[in-house]
Amino acid sequence: MAALFFIAPVLYLFWVSLHQPSQSELFGAALTLQNYASVLGDSFYLSIIRRTLGVAAVILAISLFIGYPVAYFVALLPPRKRMIAMLMLLFPLMVSNVVRAYGWVALLGRRGVVNSSLSGIGLIDAPLDLLYTTQAVVVGLMTILLPYMVISIANSLAALDRRYEEAAQSLGAGPVRTFLHVTLPLSTPGVASGTLLVLLLTLSAYVTITLLGGPRSKLLVSMIYDSVTAFQWPHAAALAFVLLVIALLLTALILALLRPGRVLGTGR
Amino acid sequence: MSDPPIDVQLIGVRKTFGSVVAVDDVRLDIPRGTIFSLLGPSGCGKTTTLRLIAGFEQPDSGEVHIRGERVTAVPPYRRNFSMVFQSYALFPHLDVADNVAFGLRMRRVARNDRVRAVNDALELVKLTALADRYPRQLSGGQQQRVALARAIVVKPAVLLLDEPLGALDKMLREEMQIELRSLQQRLGITAVFVTHDQEEALTLSDCVAVMRNGVIEQMGAPREIYDRPRTQFVAGFLGASNFIDGIVVDRDGASAIVETAGGRVPVRTDSRVGERVRIAVRPERLRMVAQGGDGLPARIRDIVYRGPVTHFYLDSAAGALLSYQQNAGAHEWAVGTQVHCAWDIDSAVALEGEPS
Repeated sequence: MAALFFIAPVLYLFWVSLHQPSQSELFGAALTLQNYASVLGDSFYLSIIRRTLGVAAVILAISLFIGYPVAYFVALLPPRKRMIAMLMLLFPLMVSNVVRAYGWVALLGRRGVVNSSLSGIGLIDAPLDLLYTTQAVVVGLMTILLPYMVISIANSLAALDRRYEEAAQSLGAGPVRTFLHVTLPLSTPGVASGTLLVLLLTLSAYVTITLLGGPRSKLLVSMIYDSVTAFQWPHAAALAFVLLVIALLLTALILALLRPGRVLGTGR
Repeated sequence: MSDPPIDVQLIGVRKTFGSVVAVDDVRLDIPRGTIFSLLGPSGCGKTTTLRLIAGFEQPDSGEVHIRGERVTAVPPYRRNFSMVFQSYALFPHLDVADNVAFGLRMRRVARNDRVRAVNDALELVKLTALADRYPRQLSGGQQQRVALARAIVVKPAVLLLDEPLGALDKMLREEMQIELRSLQQRLGITAVFVTHDQEEALTLSDCVAVMRNGVIEQMGAPREIYDRPRTQFVAGFLGASNFIDGIVVDRDGASAIVETAGGRVPVRTDSRVGERVRIAVRPERLRMVAQGGDGLPARIRDIVYRGPVTHFYLDSAAGALLSYQQNAGAHEWAVGTQVHCAWDIDSAVALEGEPS
């Protein structure tokens, strides 16, 4: 199944990316590496890739920094309150991405809520350029992606047998050391799945990136869309393949760093 | 010879969960170097008592002392104990050697000493070859040994064990009972363990506390509580027992003559003439003699062969009786035979409390 619905299309994508563009067909006849050369050799595209990686890094860092403590707190709640907390975290996701992104436009725009309040109070003289920046993209993505991180980690922590922490205490580990040596390592599967979710969703979140980033803060996924609307299919395919490889490399890196495998597979 | 010092002491300890009284005014003194067991059915409060010694629960009232030090308000990680959990709770992300070394690392023991201590502990439980394995790669018995090694390597003042052999099959359990006892005696560690298996408690312990509904009904050496149970519950929990009701009709020094539905029998008791008593006699102490002898007349209802012993189920005027006979030679008993059931006066006890 995986081979049919995933690997075969990806291979076809790679195949398309190796061709010349064509006016009338999906792709021209001649094979070429020009598409990749123009992406990986052009400083413009490289800066886009750099910005994409930068945004991903910042989002991952913030969502881990905020997400873990929140998840820890949620995991400690009794089961019913925990369920309610998780539902509340999921509320933002129940609204369509497009609607939410426009909500941010209304908040951050030149005539938006933030600017109006700040100038109304008298803190600023001219409206701030909050929208259509990389920062706006980061903030917008954070509100969608933070719940994924929190829920992943909270589930992992809540499923932890309390006996592990008691065992650590029986061996002389106080609350801090119990957390560092036992709880944190054992929550690695939750951290890994949360991190991967956030990373992969960041790389592919077209709507939010475009609506909040505007023409000046484009990320790699926006470039793919631009190529498609210009009917540059092989070029788009090449960009898509580059994004895929970046995603796979980062995934491998995260899994190698966190090593969730050594924790999984335990029944006790 | 002076008495060994008391390592664990509970004084007037009481613990409730909501409206349920889990532990009700418990008093315990556990001398150094002994194995002490808390025995009883589910919900009797034995695990709660153990957790009160550990510090995982705080008593509502009363005091907990370890090695003479008042630890009632001290958190578990500062008490001088270690514990083997029922599910072993081995850290999944650490291998066997690191698991065993955990407590030493927390105590900041130097690396060389740590490695040596871990190796010694693994040798004691015969698991040296598995030091690199992870808990999920081990069998239940092996995990149990790792949990034991992890607990003893830190040389605690008291070792707590929560149904440590519960998850093992029968043969492994009996093997581990013997190993546990020899290990404890070799190291001289004071051990407290919780079990619902009366055979295990009798095998392993120097002293047994039988608990019911949060109270210790009887406490003493295995032989003492088995041969001389004080209440019906203790008698029944530790093994099969015959119960015979009667009324005291005469006294002769320290013993009394009791009139039962089947006849008169002697028993040692303080009960006065006219008082009701319930007599408990273990089946292995109930002798069957041919008609015409002393004892209660009875009829053999059923005979069950059990290998080393044969169980005889009898009916008498005083109720159903059970007798175990060793199969040391052939016997002539058959179903339907009329016999007399007798026992030595020292083999019977009069139980406390109103005969129900």
